Amino acid sequence: MFDYDAERFRVLITELTRSNVTTETWQWLSDKFLAPETSVVNSAFAMMPRKTGKLPLTESIELRAEIEKLKPGFILEGWTIDRLSRLCLLVQLDATDKAKYFKTIENLFLAAEIQELVALYSSLPLLAWPELWKMRCAEGIRSNIGLVLEAIMYNNPYPFNYLDEKAWNQLILKAFFTDKDLNKIPGIDERANAELAATLIDFAHERWSAHRKINPHLWRLTSKFIDDNLLIDLKRVFEEGSLKDRQAAALTVYQSDSGSAKMLLNNYPELVKAIENKEITWSSITPEV
Amino acid sequence: MCCSHSFEDRKPQVVAEAMNLDIIKGMKFFDPHVHMSSRTTDDYQAMADAGIVALIEPAFWLGQPRTGIDSFRDYYSSLVGWERFRSSQFGIKHYCTIGLNSREANNEQLAEQVMELLPLFIYKEGVVGIGEIGFDDQTAAEDKYYRMQLELAKEAGLPIQIHTPHRDKKKGTQRSMDIAIEHGIDPKLVIIDHNNEETVKEVLDRGFWAAFTIYPFTKMGNERMVEVAKLYGSERIMINSAADWGISDPLAVPKTAALMKLKGISDQDIKMITYSNAIAAFAQSGQIDQNDFISPLAVDQTEKFEGNTVLRGGQQPRTDKSSIIIS
Repeated sequence: MFDYDAERFRVLITELTRSNVTTETWQWLSDKFLAPETSVVNSAFAMMPRKTGKLPLTESIELRAEIEKLKPGFILEGWTIDRLSRLCLLVQLDATDKAKYFKTIENLFLAAEIQELVALYSSLPLLAWPELWKMRCAEGIRSNIGLVLEAIMYNNPYPFNYLDEKAWNQLILKAFFTDKDLNKIPGIDERANAELAATLIDFAHERWSAHRKINPHLWRLTSKFIDDNLLIDLKRVFEEGSLKDRQAAALTVYQSDSGSAKMLLNNYPELVKAIENKEITWSSITPEV
Repeated sequence: MCCSHSFEDRKPQVVAEAMNLDIIKGMKFFDPHVHMSSRTTDDYQAMADAGIVALIEPAFWLGQPRTGIDSFRDYYSSLVGWERFRSSQFGIKHYCTIGLNSREANNEQLAEQVMELLPLFIYKEGVVGIGEIGFDDQTAAEDKYYRMQLELAKEAGLPIQIHTPHRDKKKGTQRSMDIAIEHGIDPKLVIIDHNNEETVKEVLDRGFWAAFTIYPFTKMGNERMVEVAKLYGSERIMINSAADWGISDPLAVPKTAALMKLKGISDQDIKMITYSNAIAAFAQSGQIDQNDFISPLAVDQTEKFEGNTVLRGGQQPRTDKSSIIIS
């Protein structure tokens, strides 16, 4: 039913939620945990910020670290109390009746406002029956609402673990098109693939033709697929790009297995040195907006 | 004498006030009734430029009847979703009221399903009331669903935004108020909308909020509104544009503020009528935090963490309208 230690996770997330709300709110919320009626879950889910407020989490850093260990890639960074409380409510749902469980949560998606969507999508990696949510996740990537996309992309291991290649590639393309921080996408490098690299290279050519900037992180996803044509492009980045572009090109080549590509690096010993000293990493390269 | 007569004829009757909003520069406005789903991004930009910092989009009918419950669900969900996001990109805080409008209350089979759907939406963040509800044709079905929604509002502790009918307005307005009182609703939780010179006195006397819609040709013009303000002052009075897919004006609130200023209404009264009263009325929902729009940089806590820019999610870049170049 679950792909992680859900029992332990529920205990910890319940404790973390309890420590972040008032006694009165906790009484109200925990009352809802055992309610069998979907309508009670529906209104509790919708009403959450009215009861909990919307401030960032303040309590129990240690507890958070323990929670994050249970689900690699899942990080509570930037979470607010209402979002956490919604997750807490979701993990109490009885998942034994698969069809009912799916219908309850799917209906929350269908009627959700923005912050509810954020809570729901960022809860995907923690739900029961993980295979069930692939379509929902792929649908979420079609959203044009920045916060919703970030809930799916950032610190959310669900796409990495469950999306098929087509949907994954859509997520990454969308991330580039909407100027997202690629470093926050779990599995970004592990799931690099030839099809995605080809599409991204086309995209880079389009940007060049339109005299627009290219996010330097684009190149990192081509590292395993360097051929003669791409070498020409990378040369162009080395010669015409900004400092960040050149750093990104150097990292791309450095991480590739292509001998002819590595020859390029001979011209840029100072970049190689900086990479070896860990002064240049993908985290150090922030795209210019 | 024909000549002098024709000279008289050609004398301009009224000099239209030129569109100049400079005299209200720096003022903030709140439009508590505007249907943004049917407006363009140009409107959003113009509204932001004119000082509108927040608005309420009441749920209404779409110009033609819906044929299924999913259309209602998608519409309500767009009011708390996509439209709210779109508005935020122009720095305008978007609230809404949720309800079954009077016209569609007449499709009883569908109305029943909508009543079941409403509890899913009325408790959501930024939903500041049940609305717009009330009478259109004043049929039995309209009466029934109006009453049911009053009960719902009572249960949820939400303000009620009442649409008064075009036809037989005075009686329709009285009836709306009578029924609200009958259901034990406190008048201070009820905003009676689309008032005119004929309805305002009774609405105010009975303790309700009186909203005026400044809408060309069919509802109030703003010169008439200035006279109303002179006569009744600013207590419990507010104005809105009710701009929608008809010939309407999303700048009705700031334009009327400018006209009031020109006609000598005090800044304090203008502020009450175009900003503070609407906030006071709808903040009874517990869903309006003035800090969300009091300073243009103050955004929701949830939208500014991670050291990211306040414009994250991508506030819309401006196009240069003075140039023929599009880049």
